[in-house]
Amino acid sequence: MKSTVLTDLQVAFHDHLLNLPNDFSQEVSEGGRIGVDHRLHIYHNAYRARLLENLQDAYEKTWAYLGDETFESSALAFIEDNPPKHRNLRWHGATFSQWLAERYPQDLDIAELALIDWQLRQAFDGPNATPVPAAALGGLTAEDWASVGFQFVPTLFVAPLRFNTVTIWHAIDQEQAPPIAEVLSPATWLVIWRKGWQPHFRTIQAAEHAALMQLQGAASFAQVCADLGEQFSDQEAASVAAESLRTWLEDEMIVGLTGTSA
Amino acid sequence: MPFNTPTASIKQVSPGFGLGLRPVHYPDFLAEAQAVDWLEIISENYMVPGGKPLAMLDAILERYPVAMHGVSLSIGSTDGLDAQYLTDLRALANHVQPMWISDHLCWTGVQGRNAHDLLPLPYSEEALRLVVRHVNQVQDALGRRILLENVSSYLNYRSSEMSEWEFLRQVAEQADCLLLLDVNNIYVSGINHGFDPITFLDHLPVDRVQQIHLAGHSDHGDYIVDTHDHPVAEPVWDLYRYTCARFGDVATMIERDDDIPELSVLIAELDRARAIAAETLVPGVQKTREAAL
Repeated sequence: MKSTVLTDLQVAFHDHLLNLPNDFSQEVSEGGRIGVDHRLHIYHNAYRARLLENLQDAYEKTWAYLGDETFESSALAFIEDNPPKHRNLRWHGATFSQWLAERYPQDLDIAELALIDWQLRQAFDGPNATPVPAAALGGLTAEDWASVGFQFVPTLFVAPLRFNTVTIWHAIDQEQAPPIAEVLSPATWLVIWRKGWQPHFRTIQAAEHAALMQLQGAASFAQVCADLGEQFSDQEAASVAAESLRTWLEDEMIVGLTGTSA
Repeated sequence: MPFNTPTASIKQVSPGFGLGLRPVHYPDFLAEAQAVDWLEIISENYMVPGGKPLAMLDAILERYPVAMHGVSLSIGSTDGLDAQYLTDLRALANHVQPMWISDHLCWTGVQGRNAHDLLPLPYSEEALRLVVRHVNQVQDALGRRILLENVSSYLNYRSSEMSEWEFLRQVAEQADCLLLLDVNNIYVSGINHGFDPITFLDHLPVDRVQQIHLAGHSDHGDYIVDTHDHPVAEPVWDLYRYTCARFGDVATMIERDDDIPELSVLIAELDRARAIAAETLVPGVQKTREAAL
């Protein structure tokens, strides 16, 4: 693109905001009650203040967990490393959790809490879908049950959880002192989705996680039950499968049936 | 260019007095009818896949006329317009069917970077040509005239070749668009740059001012910042009085984005705007205004 006076001016102004080498001050008129440096500082400061406020809004629990000073210094460093490129400000914090994992590698509970903050935000205004009522399964024939699969809400997010960050989240939410971060055992996964207009989250264990992953991979519920049968006794497998299905229906996580004749 | 109707019919009749819709007031607006004639939404807040924001918007649309106000068009960036943003804006407009669509006469970033701030343009012939070209593109994409708002600013460029008001007038007339006059921004910039707000107002075309913004600011002594976290300041009310006398019956609303009070407080503030407008629209004042024009 051909460089113009206007392009050069805008690039110099934006470079000033980003602390990149520039001669923007030469573009600005002198005069008035405040000097050129002060005028430049107003924009320099406003840029950071706006982005910081956006991160505080998106990462409310992480902010409370780190405290004002640490959150602000981290957020400002993130802002320096990640100048916004998206047209909508809401996307600026999308990589903050990964960035926190690199900044605090010995305290990965921080990044994990930030991931919860971010994914709850995504669930809040993610795509709509109509949940399948439990009664809809009552009409399935034995033949249907042999092949039926489930579509889950488009806001569903599943990720491994290493720390007790869900407990930490709840403590912060109730304005109580958060517990010391601890590694979870056995393996646990975080599930986030939206029920009605409200984002929800809970933790799940290996069996339910395996079932969810299989179903999301287009496996039938019968196949999932069969696979559970290889890990557990028949009674346990039936119990895990039935309990999981009941929970998914109650939590409005299922929005479609596949593989049925109807 | 499809927007070549005679200037006398460019502007829509004023729908009255409105407020900027903020989520904290959703319950108030949905619980019972409020003394607000229309609402302005921030377009970007509803350019989302789904969830509560769009559900609340649909409920609001059943109750109030709505205008769309954007902050990300970046009409003055030398990067050019963002095609995806325009597509998303048009999709929202098709859903909302707003009274009108506005954004700011500014730029927000360059070289693919975004400052998320309403940065001022130099008032140059080059910037004028660029903005007029972009407004034409936006109006063609949306199939309607847009409104452009004067921003508050904290610096002037050596490369400016005309006043802000001359630039604003030239943009409106050359691009055949409408104006959203932010009276607080005129006051803020007037203090920051040392110009007379009355001169600003006197040079704008009456027939193209479709909407007025009122808002609060933060006074730092030597300069003022447009913060939208205070009630409308007294000097801005005075300027609004003059604005009403000059521009007549124009849709007016109050913006509040921080330290947002209860809705009743904002409605009381809006009632003051109503009273000022009513005083200036009595026949005697109207005749004086028409004679002055």
